[in-house]
Amino acid sequence: MEMQTTLEEPVSTAVARPRRGRKFIQVFLDRKAILVGSLILLVMVVLAVFAPYIAPYSPYQQDLDHTLAPPSWQHLLGTDLFGRDELSRIIFGTRASLMVGVVSVAIAGGVGIALGLMAGYLGGIIDSLIMRIMDALMAIPPIILALSIGSALGGGLKDVMISLGIALIPIYARLMRGQVLSVREADYVIAGELSGSSNLRNMLVHVLPNCVSPLIVLITLNLGVAILAEAALSFLGLGMAPPGAAWGSMINDGYPYMRTNPLLSFAPGVAVMLVVVAFNLVGDALRDALDPKLRGSV
Amino acid sequence: MSHLLEVKNLKVQFKLDGRTVKAVDGVSFHVDAGEIVAIVGESGSGKSVTQYSILQLIPAPPGEIVEGEVLFEGTDLLKLDPRSQELRDVRGGKIGIIFQEPMTSLNPVMTVGRQLEESLILHLKLSRSQARERAIELLRRVGIPDAEHRVNYYPHQFSGGMRQRIMIAMAMSCEPKILIADEATTALDVTTQAQLLELLRDIVRSTNTALVLVTHNLGVVARFADRIYVMYAGGIVESGTCKDIFANPRHPYTVGLLRAIPRLDDPKDRKLVPIDGLPPDLSQKPTTCAFMPRCVYRTARCAQEPAPPLTPVGPGHEAACYVLPSAEEFSAAANAATAASETSAALAAPVQQKQTGETILEVRNLKMYFPVTKGLLKRKVSDIKAVDDVSFDIRRGETIGLVGESGCGKTTVARAILRMYDPTDGQIVFRGQDIAKLPKKDLRPLRRHMALVFQDSYSSLDPRLTAANIVGEPLKVNRLVASRAEYDRRIDELFELVGLRPELKHRYPHEFSGGQRQRLGIARALASNPDFIVCDEAISALDVSIQAQIINLLEELQAKLGLTYLFIAHDLSVVRHISDRVVVMYLGRVVEIADWKSLYENPKHPYTQALLAAVPIPDPFVEEQRERIIIQGDIPSVMNKPPGCSFSNRCPLATKECTEQVPPLTHVGDGHSVACIKVS
Repeated sequence: MEMQTTLEEPVSTAVARPRRGRKFIQVFLDRKAILVGSLILLVMVVLAVFAPYIAPYSPYQQDLDHTLAPPSWQHLLGTDLFGRDELSRIIFGTRASLMVGVVSVAIAGGVGIALGLMAGYLGGIIDSLIMRIMDALMAIPPIILALSIGSALGGGLKDVMISLGIALIPIYARLMRGQVLSVREADYVIAGELSGSSNLRNMLVHVLPNCVSPLIVLITLNLGVAILAEAALSFLGLGMAPPGAAWGSMINDGYPYMRTNPLLSFAPGVAVMLVVVAFNLVGDALRDALDPKLRGSV
Repeated sequence: MSHLLEVKNLKVQFKLDGRTVKAVDGVSFHVDAGEIVAIVGESGSGKSVTQYSILQLIPAPPGEIVEGEVLFEGTDLLKLDPRSQELRDVRGGKIGIIFQEPMTSLNPVMTVGRQLEESLILHLKLSRSQARERAIELLRRVGIPDAEHRVNYYPHQFSGGMRQRIMIAMAMSCEPKILIADEATTALDVTTQAQLLELLRDIVRSTNTALVLVTHNLGVVARFADRIYVMYAGGIVESGTCKDIFANPRHPYTVGLLRAIPRLDDPKDRKLVPIDGLPPDLSQKPTTCAFMPRCVYRTARCAQEPAPPLTPVGPGHEAACYVLPSAEEFSAAANAATAASETSAALAAPVQQKQTGETILEVRNLKMYFPVTKGLLKRKVSDIKAVDDVSFDIRRGETIGLVGESGCGKTTVARAILRMYDPTDGQIVFRGQDIAKLPKKDLRPLRRHMALVFQDSYSSLDPRLTAANIVGEPLKVNRLVASRAEYDRRIDELFELVGLRPELKHRYPHEFSGGQRQRLGIARALASNPDFIVCDEAISALDVSIQAQIINLLEELQAKLGLTYLFIAHDLSVVRHISDRVVVMYLGRVVEIADWKSLYENPKHPYTQALLAAVPIPDPFVEEQRERIIIQGDIPSVMNKPPGCSFSNRCPLATKECTEQVPPLTHVGDGHSVACIKVS
């Protein structure tokens, strides 16, 4: 039947439309900010993986004749209290710091988002149960919570990552639940239910993708928080054991010499900042690239 | 003679995302003292932007008034600085505006009296006590009972209709020369809408104020307007007196609009003639006639020459068209279109006559109560009886219309039937099985036999999925296709079925227009081959010309696939057009059930009568002769229904016994049931 109501296309379809994947990558690459962000992250990852080949010195090698040396051609960023090369320590520190940031946020985000999704979508007793536990966790300052969990687990770097992850869960669960509550009332979620979808399918297909935008922002911000928290914990004796290098503990170790050798704190601080900025840029881009509405206008 | 307000060649554009949208493109019109002028157009036609530009109320940037003059009492308002005292005196002083949303136009933390006084003190320099007196007088004038006390109420203590009355009072407070009503009654129920329009007319007539009615509803205009301007894509395409426009429309768009809407006095089998296609994208507006691509009468000249100017076609009647088809040509074209669609429908559907078969759905004593809880422990204090003892049945292949004003429970009934809620009590027998108490798990396999088409086509489509994934979801979930190839084929089939090109299937919802999105919604509903579809206000958010397309589509699909519809709407003309039987609800109860003919031609329940009387008919000649008895008062909240018959407090027939018992739904013959003790 010749449909009398077939519509004319408002936009020309002469140009073949790129498929979803291509378009995603295109948006991602079209922005200079993203390029900068990804470049920084790439460099960081390379530094972390190939640290022994890149770093000029071993991070543990002490040179007690040249302690607290100012920057020179031998030591580009100077040396610390034990005469260890600051630059090499930063390069090696990338390993621990990136790992602490990524792993703890992955734990917090993964568990928190899943809990928030269940609480918000299923509601009722499950909601109350999950959220009361989250409230209880939230009542304890995260660093103290991480400290107690970390020391209960043993206190190594692995334990710090887990404990930080757990301490950050409630933030994600709360934010996610709030998002879910507003999204789950949307007609398209109801439409999913009406077409016979299971709860799990509805949660994953309709609710989760429409909730992620603010969570991506939170994740990118929390990476920096986690890296710095590791410093606080290492100050209290958890995490990276002394000769090991991590940015957070390096910032801490540099404090007493802020007046004379500011670079000792400043340089690892810049490294943390770079990572956070890079993750932020990439996170923003990721958020936009995942949103079909923004993809067109980028 | 100079006019009270004269707009000359107004051009307004918006710069968005590097594109220039010519929202208003050379609009000229005038308003004389004391007359009621209507500006009619669909969404995006520039009708509201024109009005806001007059007072320089458009946000700038991105908006920009490019050129034009707005002469009001001899001064060009566009020459005034937007922040100048002179312009402020005009805004809200000499020219009053009533907006569409009475909810957001009133300040929720100030009493209405205070808000009225503010503008009185500001514009008329009255003292506080004088202003108070005048505020009370104004409220009384717009029909707020007990104005002395109500003046101290806050906006939330009034109903939507009352709030819009207050807005009228506010707009009238400074005795403006012109009152602009921008879709002022669109968001309200028909009975309230009728009350307010009558009120507006009486007020402007008695004060010799000019009224500019901005609306998309031709029906509203027919009864009230003296002159009409029809706008399309940023320009005026036809202007003339109300009677000229309706009796002798000359522009193809005006004719198209008139043909696209169902009317209460239509012959039942009239096929709506939709205007094909979509309005143009105003950022790429062609220099030729903007309506040309959708026009049936276009000639070679239309495609070559620049957009036609408004030319006189009669005394005080102008149209912007080169062709200017005559009335005969219009009816010939319409007949041809009807004939064509009829033959195609006949070819597609061997079952020409609707045959209604066995009962597919039976609703028995359905009750849906929502608990009202109080305090920390969520103690239940009472129930909101959203649906109270509703019974009706639906036979296979028919369309049941469910009508009633907002808050009457019609959507709740639909949602309870679809088991989006767990009904408090009663039975819902679907395909021979009572599903009212069925656990969700056992319900899932039944889901594929029923579907819902939503009102808001935008929010009902997941913004993160492509059109194909949205339409295909029921197929995947219910495992209705065996292979990827079959899935793709079925998606293409569904797209074609609803009149969308399958090539569009990789697009996302925001890349479709409103009408197209509603088609997607229908395609999704059809995906699992359901036999029963609930259309919950499925067309009310669409523009008139698109509405007709969707109504026709629904009818075609029904003929082709033998679907059963539960069609929920507040527009009684549309329901009349599409329904076989109609259920009327008021405050959670069914007040009348009948086949469409008995219901519309011989309504028995006083509420049905009142509803029908309130529906405007887009024909000034019919409206002139029509006696309208408009019921007074507002719909009470479901929380405090009057005792006995819920309609008793507004009913002209009500006596004491009406408040003593709830009238049962009684059969009065011929499938016609009424719940009223005064009717037998």
